[in-house]
Amino acid sequence: MKRQQWLGATGISLMCLLLIVALVIHLSIGTKVISISDILHSFYTYNEDNFDHLIIQELRLPRAMIAICVGACLAVAGALMQGVTRNPLSDPSLLGMMTGGALAVVYWSTFVTNASLIWLPVVAAVGALISASIVWNIAARTHGGITPLSLILSGAAFTAFSGALLAIHHLLDEQTFEEMRTWLVGSLLASNIETLYWCIPWIVVGLIGAIVLAPSVTALSMGEEIATGLGINIRRRKWQLLMCIVILTSAAIALAGPLGFIGLVIPHVVRFIVGADYRWIIPYSILLGAVYLLSIDSLARWLIQPQEIATGLITILMGAPLFIWLVKVKVR
Amino acid sequence: MTMSIRLCKQKISFQVTKIAAIYTTCLLLALIAVFMFSLISGSYQLSLVDSFFSLIQQQQWITDSQATLIIWEFRLPRSLVAIFSGALFALSGTLLQSLTRNPLADPSLVGISQGAALAVVTLTILFPDYIDDWREISAFIGAIAVAGIIQLLRGKGNSLKFILLGVGVAAFISALISTLLTYGKLQSAMSALSWLAGSTNTSNWHDVNALGSACIVLMLLAISQARTMIVISLGDEVAVGLGVNLRKTMLLQLATSVAAAAIATAIVGPLGFIGLLAPHLARKITHNGPANHLLLSTLVGAILVLSADIIGRTLFAPTQLAAGLVTSLVGAPLFAYLLIKKQF
Repeated sequence: MKRQQWLGATGISLMCLLLIVALVIHLSIGTKVISISDILHSFYTYNEDNFDHLIIQELRLPRAMIAICVGACLAVAGALMQGVTRNPLSDPSLLGMMTGGALAVVYWSTFVTNASLIWLPVVAAVGALISASIVWNIAARTHGGITPLSLILSGAAFTAFSGALLAIHHLLDEQTFEEMRTWLVGSLLASNIETLYWCIPWIVVGLIGAIVLAPSVTALSMGEEIATGLGINIRRRKWQLLMCIVILTSAAIALAGPLGFIGLVIPHVVRFIVGADYRWIIPYSILLGAVYLLSIDSLARWLIQPQEIATGLITILMGAPLFIWLVKVKVR
Repeated sequence: MTMSIRLCKQKISFQVTKIAAIYTTCLLLALIAVFMFSLISGSYQLSLVDSFFSLIQQQQWITDSQATLIIWEFRLPRSLVAIFSGALFALSGTLLQSLTRNPLADPSLVGISQGAALAVVTLTILFPDYIDDWREISAFIGAIAVAGIIQLLRGKGNSLKFILLGVGVAAFISALISTLLTYGKLQSAMSALSWLAGSTNTSNWHDVNALGSACIVLMLLAISQARTMIVISLGDEVAVGLGVNLRKTMLLQLATSVAAAAIATAIVGPLGFIGLLAPHLARKITHNGPANHLLLSTLVGAILVLSADIIGRTLFAPTQLAAGLVTSLVGAPLFAYLLIKKQF
């Protein structure tokens, strides 16, 4: 037991190191490459007249912060989902939560004039919650009950439906299409730092909740009978976990739009490293999710300079092959 | 009361029951009614009499001088394209469902439509000069490539795997398409975008000819396969035991299905859920042998797409909604309903 904890702690510190490296790379690359010493100087001896310092502090650091938060949120939400549903193919985007939240945000920002950023996470949360419950209900009413197949199919149907609603909305209102186009494919470009301030409390609540509830997720992932036998109030715990998932997902949607497949990829990699204990899976997911999204975002900015690819497209292009592989291996 | 049709030394044979014949006639009449409605509805009001006489080209009876032009240049090709593409999607879905023995198979769900879409969008963005001549062929190649990839990945897995893999492949391809759309030239991206929504706006007689001939050829091919379809539905072992060359038949049916989806997609864009819904609705109407089922499904598919087209252009007139959006809006809830009702 001692040895395991020691190993886990070493792994965590390694991950932190990795996070710092990813952060430095993210800050330094771009249309203008900035050296590491300049980055450090911009932190310690910030000079308003220095153009490099301005770029770091005003443009790249907020973006990096958002990437870290969103990556952590989505990875943890995916890990919780996979644990609770005992379904290796769970991911917020596959279950329609992403498009549902995005749809709510788009409708809200169209119909509520001079909308304030404070309510953005709440609106996204309501949309995500409604869509999750719709998808869940459809899947639960099928003959086999809730299985990976029924969840994914009802998620696909819901995604198609809300996608069509979005398209109609765009057709009737071209201005919001212009404003929302980059946001809707999942991009960190349009995000601004103010939204982050409004999302931070939600993220903190969600992440702490996930860490606190982690032991019972381990129990739940072994089956409901075992969890009951271990003295867990399943109904209440599941409800709490669902709230956690919704809070984390909606914070991520509010910050970066619908980013697919992060919640699918990270927990699988983490489980490969640390095994099935959610007390370790959750912290590792936080760190690895942050590292992953930082690297993906760096890639998105670096690949076709001076333009950049929307980050959400790369996460799907990386995640979908893993999904295919999982289906091939896990589904019999 | 049944009637047997036997052709080509009994290689092609099927029975037509009285009830199926009645339903087929009813659906045909319904299709004609919707078709006439499609001709008279739109931003320019035409009377039923005018559209009928301009359709049969009796100039002396027409009261509205614009009628002939509007019917023959705009509404007739558009309606025919809707009918034929609906029939092709339905045909593709029916074959795919019989092939995978899975009632949820649909060309747009398993990535075949997306494969065709990717090929066409790539062509539109990267080589805009060749798009008019090569659209159908590239769509076909894209669709067949995706179908092949899914088939390869699936290996010996069951039909559940086929669908899940299809969902994954579809997500991947959609991301590729979005990438192309975001970074291509704005003008070609816009034309690709309007095509992607699945619209019949730009239909012309060239499209009608391509779709119509494809529809006839593929329909004949599918009906010639009808007899083996019923055997295959009993299971692979039974089919082999009854003397079906399983590999060859499967390949032929898959190719027919992919071809139907690819050609329809090439011209009207990816229309969701038609291939899924038409066979189910047809089965709801009457349960019958595969040849009748094919026929009924294609009729239902044609009616569905034509109605979607009418709804799309009249609901928010003068803004036109693409037919594909309407089919997704109607199709997705029906799909959910099927998920709940059917065992799979």
